[in-house]
Amino acid sequence: MLDVRHLNKRFGSLAVTQDVNLSVARGERRLILGPNGAGKTTLFNLLVGELASDSGEIHLDGERVDRLGVDARARLGLARSYQKNNLFDALSVAENLALAVTAARGLSSNPWRDTHRDASVQEDVERVAAQVGLEARLHHTVSDTAYGERRQLEVGMALASGPKLLMMDEPTSGVGPAMIDGFRQLLQSLPTDLTILIVEHDMDFALDLADRITVLNYGEVVFEGTPSEARESALVREIYLGADDA
Amino acid sequence: MFHQTALKSVTLVILLLGLGAYVQTGGYYGRELVIEACILAMLALSVDVVAGYGGMISMCHGALLGAAAYAFAAMTALLGWPPSLSFVIAIVASTLLATAIGAVSSRTQGIFFIMATLAFGQMVYVMIFDAPMLGGDDGMAGVKRLNLDLVGINFKKSAPFAFACIALLALSYGLAALMLRSGFGRTLSGVKANEDRLRALGVRVWWVKARAFGFSGLLAGIAGVMAAQHTQFVSPELLLWTLSGEALVVVILGGLGTLVGPLVGAIALVFVKHEISSVTHYWHLFIGIALILTVLAGGRGLYGQFEYVVTRARRRRAKDHA
Repeated sequence: MLDVRHLNKRFGSLAVTQDVNLSVARGERRLILGPNGAGKTTLFNLLVGELASDSGEIHLDGERVDRLGVDARARLGLARSYQKNNLFDALSVAENLALAVTAARGLSSNPWRDTHRDASVQEDVERVAAQVGLEARLHHTVSDTAYGERRQLEVGMALASGPKLLMMDEPTSGVGPAMIDGFRQLLQSLPTDLTILIVEHDMDFALDLADRITVLNYGEVVFEGTPSEARESALVREIYLGADDA
Repeated sequence: MFHQTALKSVTLVILLLGLGAYVQTGGYYGRELVIEACILAMLALSVDVVAGYGGMISMCHGALLGAAAYAFAAMTALLGWPPSLSFVIAIVASTLLATAIGAVSSRTQGIFFIMATLAFGQMVYVMIFDAPMLGGDDGMAGVKRLNLDLVGINFKKSAPFAFACIALLALSYGLAALMLRSGFGRTLSGVKANEDRLRALGVRVWWVKARAFGFSGLLAGIAGVMAAQHTQFVSPELLLWTLSGEALVVVILGGLGTLVGPLVGAIALVFVKHEISSVTHYWHLFIGIALILTVLAGGRGLYGQFEYVVTRARRRRAKDHA
């Protein structure tokens, strides 16, 4: 599904992504781990096209995508949620989701169809809202919702775009234990053919969900394996979990 | 995001009926004012679509209006083409020109977008100004009006022409409202709010902007064709950037991003201008003060402020009942 070959990115003299190779199978849940500054979010930005790589290739479903723009990659099924909320704050939760559904259904260029009254669009909006637990908050303006609800909406926006590959950048950052449980249930309920790439700092949450784990350090892939292999790896414990745990 | 509220509908109907009544009762002078207000309102409406809903502050809408006016004038006065065919071709031309300007300018943002549209507008101005065939500085006379004799309407008289302007203003509003309610229109509002996120959702943002600009050019084109028929004369003054500025002033005065506000602003500006200019030459001063007060009062504009007050009163009443 996703094939990354020899991907490199430098900011001046600083190499933030160094010869990264990554192969993710369809339906796989891949966890990207690494300490702060390891290049996890940069890798996400390179994959979705928000940053241009210096060299290397990115293939999605066999198609080379690294020369495509952000919107073209999204249309091929690459969706992401952001580490910092990136929503339409002045609009309601329903209007936010409707924008994503409208784009996914190719209605963004339709100048006649009123998507606000379109039953099929509204059905999708309600379905996604229920999926992320926001069905009771549909008509609230985003700026009036709680931080945790905005995190839920972040994931909802990505889901509403009907992705093949869902990339989530720290979906549980800043939310309480109850909401983390909610996210766990959400991820477990997603279709098994949906490929998920997730950056997460909550280790219990992440290790429970992941099929495989990739660890980055200073922009390099230093480990790849199953969650149990990661737990047993001295290298992973040293660079990620800290020397005390090693 | 656009919502055609009951308040907007009622305001629109009152404005259109008021203009219609003034055509009947205001005499020749009154009809001239109505025509002028309608043409300015159509131009302001076209600016509000891109500025109020798409976040694109344009300084070339005067040129779009002027281009349509010149296209219509050239076809009817120089080529002798039927006004009805020229009407359609001129509007299509301004739509295509606006789409092209939008496609290029949409690669920029903020002040650079304003400068890009200003540059395009000036290019159109210079090209027409320097074309001897189009009359250059002297302009071009002999522009024909639509011939509606077949349906029993004498378009050469000011009253039917004024009613046609009101009808086209209503049509322009209806088209804009339909577009803004569609998937495309809502996406345009999304572009204004957060274009990076929309791009991440798979939207070709530049194309949305270009098409919105093209649609806006269509509305400006209707205004231009009516302006050419009104005076039956076109001159490079129609293409000046100051006309784009005036349209922007009207939008801000009436209420940016309200759609009905530009109509309020245009009618207010035209009528106030004529009333005050009969007393003093310094009518700009009064408009300037009104604009400063509007901005200081929250920037909602005349209609926007009215809507804000009504909505707040409704909420307070609902709270008291609860």
